[in-house]
Amino acid sequence: MSVATAWATPPTRTELIENLVSGVDRYNPSNVSILEDYLYHQIRSEEYDCLANLAILKLYQFNPDLYNPDVVINILIKALTSTPFPDFNLCISLLDERLVNTNPDEPDPLPSLLPVITELHTLLQQCRFPAFWQLYHSDQAESLRDNYTVECVGFEDSVRNVVVQTVKAAFRRIGSDRFGTYLNLSGNDLTSYVEKLGWTIDSSSGSGVIAIPPNPDNQIESTVVQENIQLPQLVKLIAHAQTA
Amino acid sequence: MAQQRKALWEADLDEDFHDVDLNLAIGNYGQNGLYDDAAQPRIDEATLIAVQQQVAQQAALAAIPDPVKRFIIHFHQAVLDNNLGEITVAYESGWNRLTEKFYAKTEWPEAEVIAPLVNDDQIFLILYRELYYRHVYSRIQPDIDDRYHSYENSCELFNYLLNSDGPVPLELPEQWLWDIIDEFIYQFQSFCVWRSKVKAKTEEELMVLVDGNQVWSSYSVLNVLYSLIQKSKINEHIVALQEGKGKDEINEIVGEYGSRPLYRMLGYFSLIGLLRVHSLLGDFTLALKVMDSVELNQKSPFTRVTACHVTTYYYVGFCYIMLQRYPDAIRAFVSVLNFILRMRQYHTRSYQYDQINKTADRMYALFAICNALSPSRVDDNILNVTKERYGEQLAKMSRGEEGLPAFEELFLYACPKFISANPPPYEEAELLQAYMEDPPTEPAQRHLSLFLADVRAKAPVPTLRSFLKLYTSLDASKLANFLDADEEEMVQQLMVMKRASRSVSRMENEKGLLGGQITSTSDLDFVIDENMVNIAESTVGRRYAGWFIRSTEHAQRVLDTIRHAALPISTIKSAAPAPAHSKDTPTNATATVNPSRSGGQRVAWGASVKAV
Repeated sequence: MSVATAWATPPTRTELIENLVSGVDRYNPSNVSILEDYLYHQIRSEEYDCLANLAILKLYQFNPDLYNPDVVINILIKALTSTPFPDFNLCISLLDERLVNTNPDEPDPLPSLLPVITELHTLLQQCRFPAFWQLYHSDQAESLRDNYTVECVGFEDSVRNVVVQTVKAAFRRIGSDRFGTYLNLSGNDLTSYVEKLGWTIDSSSGSGVIAIPPNPDNQIESTVVQENIQLPQLVKLIAHAQTA
Repeated sequence: MAQQRKALWEADLDEDFHDVDLNLAIGNYGQNGLYDDAAQPRIDEATLIAVQQQVAQQAALAAIPDPVKRFIIHFHQAVLDNNLGEITVAYESGWNRLTEKFYAKTEWPEAEVIAPLVNDDQIFLILYRELYYRHVYSRIQPDIDDRYHSYENSCELFNYLLNSDGPVPLELPEQWLWDIIDEFIYQFQSFCVWRSKVKAKTEEELMVLVDGNQVWSSYSVLNVLYSLIQKSKINEHIVALQEGKGKDEINEIVGEYGSRPLYRMLGYFSLIGLLRVHSLLGDFTLALKVMDSVELNQKSPFTRVTACHVTTYYYVGFCYIMLQRYPDAIRAFVSVLNFILRMRQYHTRSYQYDQINKTADRMYALFAICNALSPSRVDDNILNVTKERYGEQLAKMSRGEEGLPAFEELFLYACPKFISANPPPYEEAELLQAYMEDPPTEPAQRHLSLFLADVRAKAPVPTLRSFLKLYTSLDASKLANFLDADEEEMVQQLMVMKRASRSVSRMENEKGLLGGQITSTSDLDFVIDENMVNIAESTVGRRYAGWFIRSTEHAQRVLDTIRHAALPISTIKSAAPAPAHSKDTPTNATATVNPSRSGGQRVAWGASVKAV
């Protein structure tokens, strides 16, 4: 299954959700609870379904009274872990500007948390991993950590996965110190994480260098794109020469 | 006495006819005491207004120029007869010619006025009103009444098409069907933009907006498009065609609505309409998803209407840009821009031509953006035209951070006119006040800032690229020195560059527009080996085969033509006797050539001899 098809139709999506996302029922406001439940399922079981979450946001777009800020923040957090796919941007595209909230009983946490989440996403986009972890563990993101990411199973691991994907593509060997800062792990944690990935640490040169197994992205070779002339292209030419 | 009175009344009526003031005439009539009922004045007022209107309409009808009247009658007859050829001619050239001639700055006559000409045929009047409002929206600023009435008219039209008992016996040219859908969405967009401008509204407009808040709502627009798609079963139809089913089987699958060309084309154009509406609302994945069954190639039905073709590619390309799939976007723009260049000479119908050119210009801007973000080997033709138009911006954009304003400028110029799905809170005055004081950012600005965030993230790439091109292997700290940057930061920028060179791109056999594989888009590849950067560049060998084959085939064609052409026997025969009779037949054209040539030779000989 190609990469993008898996992104558009994850194998973990059930048929019910598939019908909702692909059909006209997605516009029915009463279906929003089904999609919200599916989101919570994703949070608890480390799955991810981008289009279903976008469907929730679209329902919020058309029915502002259905708006639930917790759901939105959870969707954004999940989208963070899907970098480098453009999911985060797509989610923000669907969040129309909120009207001034006149309901003081239930304060809207989104406006205060949105800049933090956006900044986290920007750092991930720019591959500034150490800065990401710094911001994530700072006081600014405290509310985010305490209320949302703590519920999202494996959030930090998913972010580490993003890091690993990036590093795998760009490096053939990477110093373990550097890798540790990217992952926000050190010492034994780092060693066990690397072993889990199946990579080898070569501790001979000082602080250790991690060798990354070859993959299509980190094998480079100079190629000259040669022309490939096929016989059928020359058929007309040759046939004419024969008859002439 | 009676006769006198009648004459007087008639005389008054004639004068009043011109001034449309019947008060005097009917006033007299009432005063004669024939009817004494107290209720009489009220009835008189009603009839007064009705007769006034009728007379006004009759006056207006008389004021219509004759060619227009003839056109309307002819048009109506063609529609009644389902004469597709005549309708097409009337629709495409007749209407536009008459608009240019008589109604360039004013509205066409209202439907009620021309109703007598067409025997009050309601269906035709609905179609007429569709054209009438289209004219108003394009040439004249529509006011709030126009907007509401055009919505009602559209609803009536779609109601007639969708909710009659069975498919309607109407046949309209494809261009018109596309224009109906296109205009419907355009009026929706225009209304949303107008609606969000809170400050310039009058009291009256505010009231009307509060009352009629279902008018032009997003749900109703989407409802129309989805209903057309469902009624015509267009998706099943396309799938069946792709599976190669026979005509009868297809007709069975799509039912009585889908087998009629009117509904089939409307369903098809609604798919493109949905693509457009979803893009305007900011839902790019859904926009591409609805086009799942439509194949983007030159054989698809949407290419039959040029405006539709151009619109489709524009929105598909734009969605790809927002999905950060730049290679796919480039591919879409290149194919449609090539098409427009080729068909330019055939399309001179003015109103369509201008719009297509405008869209083409925007697509060149978007192409420039994509090329700056994801440089790749691309069609030279298109790149040259883009350089002509946007050369300055192209240069700025390849300079990383400095190029951000150029990106912003081009993006804002070329993006669709986004709308926000929700109206400002007209129902509640205090919310409205708060809204006016602190208006939310416009949708276009929101999308722009998302786009710029991505551009900013990729800003270091061009500089890094220019450095890496010079080396095959380079130490990271050395590179950091060159760039005057911290080594760690530089490594991170290298990771960004690596990520930027990989894009999801749709290969040949992907189903649907959202599918794709990760491909490399850059010819410069590198890998970091602890602290050493190893670089590899891929180049393209010289391509000569295509040119060679084409030239050979051309030469073959020329050779064949010459071989099969008649031998020029006659001119040789006439040239042979000419020199013999040169003195006798000086008027023979070839003869004059020969002696002059020999004469010239003689002169030359003579000259040279003389010189010696």
